[in-house]
Amino acid sequence: MQNKEELPVNATVEVVTSGKASDVDDWEAIKDNDIMQQQSAILAEEAEKIQYVGDKEPVSSLAAEYQSGSAILLEKIKVLNEQYAALRRTRGDGNCFFRSFMFSYLEHILETQDKVEVDRVKASVEKCRKTLLDLGYTEFTFEDFFGLFIEQLESVLQGNEASISQEELVERCRDQSISDYVVMFFRFVTSGEIKRRSEFFEPFIMGLSNATVEQFCKSSVEPMGEESDHVHITALSDALGVPIRVVYLDRSSCDTGGTSVNHHDFVPTSEGTAGGASEAIKPYITLLYRPGHYDILYCNNVFIVQNKGASFTVLNSLSSS
Amino acid sequence: MRIYRRPNHFLQNVQVVAVGSSYLVQSAAYKMQASRARLFKEYKEVQREKSADPDIQLVCDDSNIFKWTALIKGPSETPYEAGVFQLAFSVPEQYPLQPPQVRFLTKIFHPNVHFKTGEICLDILKNAWSPAWTLQSVCRAIIALMAHPEPDSPLNCDSGNLLRSGDIRGFQSMARMYTNLAAMPKKG
Repeated sequence: MQNKEELPVNATVEVVTSGKASDVDDWEAIKDNDIMQQQSAILAEEAEKIQYVGDKEPVSSLAAEYQSGSAILLEKIKVLNEQYAALRRTRGDGNCFFRSFMFSYLEHILETQDKVEVDRVKASVEKCRKTLLDLGYTEFTFEDFFGLFIEQLESVLQGNEASISQEELVERCRDQSISDYVVMFFRFVTSGEIKRRSEFFEPFIMGLSNATVEQFCKSSVEPMGEESDHVHITALSDALGVPIRVVYLDRSSCDTGGTSVNHHDFVPTSEGTAGGASEAIKPYITLLYRPGHYDILYCNNVFIVQNKGASFTVLNSLSSS
Repeated sequence: MRIYRRPNHFLQNVQVVAVGSSYLVQSAAYKMQASRARLFKEYKEVQREKSADPDIQLVCDDSNIFKWTALIKGPSETPYEAGVFQLAFSVPEQYPLQPPQVRFLTKIFHPNVHFKTGEICLDILKNAWSPAWTLQSVCRAIIALMAHPEPDSPLNCDSGNLLRSGDIRGFQSMARMYTNLAAMPKKG
């Protein structure tokens, strides 16, 4: 016992004395920037274990992460595996919601070649540009980000020189100089929408962070790497007029018996959407939410066909059967 | 405009950015181009708005668009009043996704400025940075910080302690003294 007690005492003394010699000077020399650089290096190292946007993989691959975890989660993963065809992970760098949305949306346009939707979203983007100008943003601070998004949007439409394939879309979304610019575009759009409708968003923001709308946008929306919450998703979905489904993989169990997985549909308010009718808009963007992170989900093709034109209740009963 | 007389440095690369289709080939180069293009826009804006903000004089290095200096006037009704403070900007290649590094070249006694290095503790220069900021608006934020110190997160503890202990007079006389010693524009 005595040996054991002695050892740490000696050790501490040594640390203290050596600390006196070097640490004090070193601490003086360590600048905030060094600390920030070290921090971002650690984050980067962690983040680089996964691409900005990963490869498609079976939903069941999620189970590996929860083998020793809650049985509810494993049950839910089974259910998800039946309902969804595939999963595509995104990097957990605080931008995962925007990154997932970017890829999912552009891939949807690439697959559907929906020119009507492209024109519609371009009109929404134009409105967002005007919103930012009205709010007093300097145009040159955001125009590059807007430009790059429009460029990606046009290049997923086939039939022109700049058209790109699915592989190239994946590559672009993994290229920081494009991917981060598009993420930043969404951040500008989100911030503009929140500020434009600050009265609507204020109570939600107060509940989240006890900050004013202005402070919230400055500290939690516009800076890269700040995580997204309901407020961000609602604002982005409304601003661009794109419905988003978020499927929740958490430990909440259901009272009805049997395992079902909750989801929430963010359906844009009438302003931006064509037709304005709110019945049965089926979001084509589906994201998987696990506390703190968003990934992309792919619907089963069969599942889509089954539900085409079906009402919401049918859809719900299907997913819990 | 003055810029047209200096055709052979950063201006020549700006046009390339607009092409855009082959940037996957040279992603790193593209990043440089994007930051150059952005800085060039800021440069033009600074030239155009020179009179709009008389408290800030922002100048780009003749040969390197990633290096800027600024002269800012100490805000009135503060111990920095009548002083002129020089700031050095070092802009990273990833700008504007990443913030510029800014430090005081002029000695200043302020809780949020490192007394030796001139390093500035300001959220928008660290984790709250966003591309919505510009070099010009960063200068404005620094002037605002001079007028409203945040003694609870001090880089200069002596200065922070004076304020936190309520010795406003002590703080002001120290800050005033350093303004007089280091920041007074030389006459003539």
